[in-house]
Amino acid sequence: MIKVQSLVKEFIQKDGTSFRAVDEVTFDASNNEIVCLLGVNGAGKTTTMRILSTIFKPDSGKAEVEGYDVVTEADKVRENLGFLSGDTGLYQRLTPREFITYFGRLYGVPEGMIEHRIREMSEILDMNEFLDKKIEFLSSGMKQKVSIARSIIHNPPVMIFDEPTAGLDILTSRNIVSFIRDCRNQGKCVLFSTHIMREAERLADRIVMIHKGRVLKQGSLVEMREETNLSDLDDIFIYYINQANGELKVAANEF
Amino acid sequence: MNFKKAIVIYKKEMLELFRDKRTLFTTIILPVILYPLLFVGFSAIMSRQVDVLEKRGATIAFQDSLSFRTPETLAIRDSIYEDLKKIENFSIIPAPPAMEKLYQEGEIDAIVTVKDSLNVLQEPVLIVSIRYDGSGEKGMMVYHKLENRLLETSQKITAQRLEALHIDQQTLKPLEIKPIDTSTAEKKMGSVLGAMLPYLMILLLITGASVVAADLVAGEKERQTLETLLVSSVSRGEIVLGKYLTIVTMAMVNVVINLVSISFSIQYMLSQTGLDLEGIQMPINSFLILLLAMIPLATLFAAILLSISTFSRNMKEARTYEQPIMIIAMLLGMVSFLPTIEINNVLALAPIINIALLFKAVLIGNYQLSHLLLTIGSTLVLDVIAIWITVKLFNTESVLFRTQEEGGKIKIKNKRTFFSPFYGIVYFCLALVALYYLGGKWQTADLVNGLIQSELILILFPVLIVLRLGKYKPAEILRLNPPKAKELAIIPFIAISASTIVSIIAQVINHIFPFPQEYIEAMSRIFTQDISFWELFIVIALIPGICEEILFRGFLMRFFEQKHFWYPIITTAILFAVFHLDPFRFLPVLLLGILLGYLAMRTGSIVNSMFFHIINNTLAVVITTFGEQNWMKIFIQDGENLKYWVILPAIFIFIISMKVFNKITVSKEVQL
Ligand SMILES: Nc1ncnc2c1ncn2[C@@H]1O[C@H](COP(=O)(O)OP(=O)(O)OP(=O)(O)O)[C@@H](O)[C@H]1O
Ligand SMILES: [Mg+2]
Repeated sequence: MIKVQSLVKEFIQKDGTSFRAVDEVTFDASNNEIVCLLGVNGAGKTTTMRILSTIFKPDSGKAEVEGYDVVTEADKVRENLGFLSGDTGLYQRLTPREFITYFGRLYGVPEGMIEHRIREMSEILDMNEFLDKKIEFLSSGMKQKVSIARSIIHNPPVMIFDEPTAGLDILTSRNIVSFIRDCRNQGKCVLFSTHIMREAERLADRIVMIHKGRVLKQGSLVEMREETNLSDLDDIFIYYINQANGELKVAANEF
Repeated sequence: MNFKKAIVIYKKEMLELFRDKRTLFTTIILPVILYPLLFVGFSAIMSRQVDVLEKRGATIAFQDSLSFRTPETLAIRDSIYEDLKKIENFSIIPAPPAMEKLYQEGEIDAIVTVKDSLNVLQEPVLIVSIRYDGSGEKGMMVYHKLENRLLETSQKITAQRLEALHIDQQTLKPLEIKPIDTSTAEKKMGSVLGAMLPYLMILLLITGASVVAADLVAGEKERQTLETLLVSSVSRGEIVLGKYLTIVTMAMVNVVINLVSISFSIQYMLSQTGLDLEGIQMPINSFLILLLAMIPLATLFAAILLSISTFSRNMKEARTYEQPIMIIAMLLGMVSFLPTIEINNVLALAPIINIALLFKAVLIGNYQLSHLLLTIGSTLVLDVIAIWITVKLFNTESVLFRTQEEGGKIKIKNKRTFFSPFYGIVYFCLALVALYYLGGKWQTADLVNGLIQSELILILFPVLIVLRLGKYKPAEILRLNPPKAKELAIIPFIAISASTIVSIIAQVINHIFPFPQEYIEAMSRIFTQDISFWELFIVIALIPGICEEILFRGFLMRFFEQKHFWYPIITTAILFAVFHLDPFRFLPVLLLGILLGYLAMRTGSIVNSMFFHIINNTLAVVITTFGEQNWMKIFIQDGENLKYWVILPAIFIFIISMKVFNKITVSKEVQL
């Protein structure tokens, strides 16, 4: 379960001024649900997720993971969260098995359990072939699978994946997508981000559209289609952007 | 803190390191092959050289220029000639016609001339002169062989004469001196090793630590793996501890492998050259104590380098920041070469110096437990501070996620290429050489005018000329901006308190390493000149304050302004300290340099740092001019030193005035 309320994150820019990468974002995601953060590059998806993963501290607002506050109970949050960030690297000189085991130990998972989880996940993610090769020799799709397995080795109730399929071929991304669905079916709460509308369409139970750090719209795809009378998610996205800009203009005119 | 998790991190780091061929090569394979090759190869070449030299023949011309050709002198001359002929491989020839030319061409290696003269009793004595070329190995060898042979001849003649006079040879030796050296072989070896080994160990420790430190955090940032570690359920403290242990291990491994390889190679080399091995055993007991004493130093380097690695954006940056630390560590480690300095309770508190001196004491075999404990204790305190800083950095978002293009980048339009560190260093070196040679010459000729000339002609003018040639706007580049009134108002407080603190630091240094007498005389030469207070003020305070600020905080600091806010300040301060060509004042000048740089950067005006500089130098003039007067006796002892208690109010005023200063100034870091 994830709860985000009026979250704000500001960065200091080179010229000394600050700007809001995340601006009063509010949404939540419950167990048994896949929620998608949808937005263009620089919308603030990664930043939001990094706050949830306790890496960044919010400037204001509140966020909870599985009932634990990300600022005051960061340890608990990390225990209950699997986080895959967009551009993570891997330790090149380890094998996937060593790499995943390492993180399993860091999460305090018992040795037998680690082995069991590795066997289980490599079956589903089709990793058996390269489990004992050095990571430096793996392809980017293989690496991404290893990263996913690493992030959820401790079988957390909440999983956050930042662009899990970016740059991967359709076979691999389908594999990953179905894996994420399995997780949801086991009762997990999954939050993932993408700027690919098709993926959001296929995978998400609910979509949270983010633009320039603000939430444009949230709801299920069905609700959005009904409201806009459009069928294509691309069009729906543009519709809401225009709507938001329009509101801004109206607001400016009124002023 | 869960130590188990720190150990998990430690084990993984070690596994990764040992899978890295480069690390494996530099820390293990290289030392294992390098030293045997180096020493054995060297000793092989050496012994061959000695052999060749021994067997080499030489041509010696022999002549006499006797004025009293008595039978006696002629007999001695002949016996010299005969004796010389007995030297193996030497051919002794009578002086040939073109002897001088042959000698110059090297055909003749030495010329032996027998002359005579009269001693004080108006008796004839023979003088045998040997002309030889002492610059080469061969010349020296020839000389020594000739000399030894001549001494034998001389002894033989003495014996004959004594016999003729019926005097027992023993009469000439009423005393016999018999040295009984009580130092053990271990102690002798210790004093040789004591000078070298500490330095070597410090060197090895820090290089071993630096090989891995940059990689461990800055490398993880660069490869984007740090985030995965930060989101997993380990605390920052556990991460820091695991990585810290890795660096400590690698530093120790580096020392042990290198030392073992070196000692094996030396033993092998000695056994090859047939030297007496008896006295040259490695003192094993002290070796173990050394390893023990090395641990705190390894931990200190590990902690410092880890904090640098954490602070840096990438490995390259980490390496850049590591360098000054390594240089400082090596310089401090060199105290072990100074023969007279021994560890005491004060020095046991000085980082790195204490370990170097402790090593030395251990190797000589007389160290005190109190020094060992003080050294370990004080190093551990620094350790804890450095680790604490690292954990703090690990909790600072802006440090962990600094990207390449962030940070106070300062651009000077279009002309950036000239203002790069490379040209900065080149300019500095040229100025230093000019000052050393020209300035030194002028000042020996006429101290007062020499000082003024040096400042104006060597320090100030070249800067103005360079700016002119490059068509730069001097005021803009040199930060010759008008200061604010409130800045000028607070500077005297900062200057007086900071100068006091720094003077006391200098006094403490003087206390530990007493300045040589000639040095004190040279330094105070200016004050013994017959000139008035105001003239001194102009020569010592006003002109240097203006010229040196223009060179350092105005000009040179520009060359380093592309990285972090403190980078140009600290680099320029180091240059400033080097510029004074005075090891005893290095630290004090460095501290002043940092403060001067900070004032100039923070306010964007070097008028402020000039003001500070002038006040600081004026204080020195005031103390030496009025030090003996009664009203100064409150602060001054012996007419020149500050009383130690003044440091307390000085620190107080310094902290308050810096607080005020920071409040009334805005950071110009980004605005420039
Ligand atoms: N550490 C940081 N320091 C300063 N600015 C940052 C930092 N991280 C992100 N930003 C800025 O915050 C804004 C939002 O970035 P974010 O990475 O959250 O976007 P995103 O939605 O994930 O985009 P993308 O689809 O490209 O991944 C961007 O303008 C980015 O430049
Ligand atoms: Mg992103």
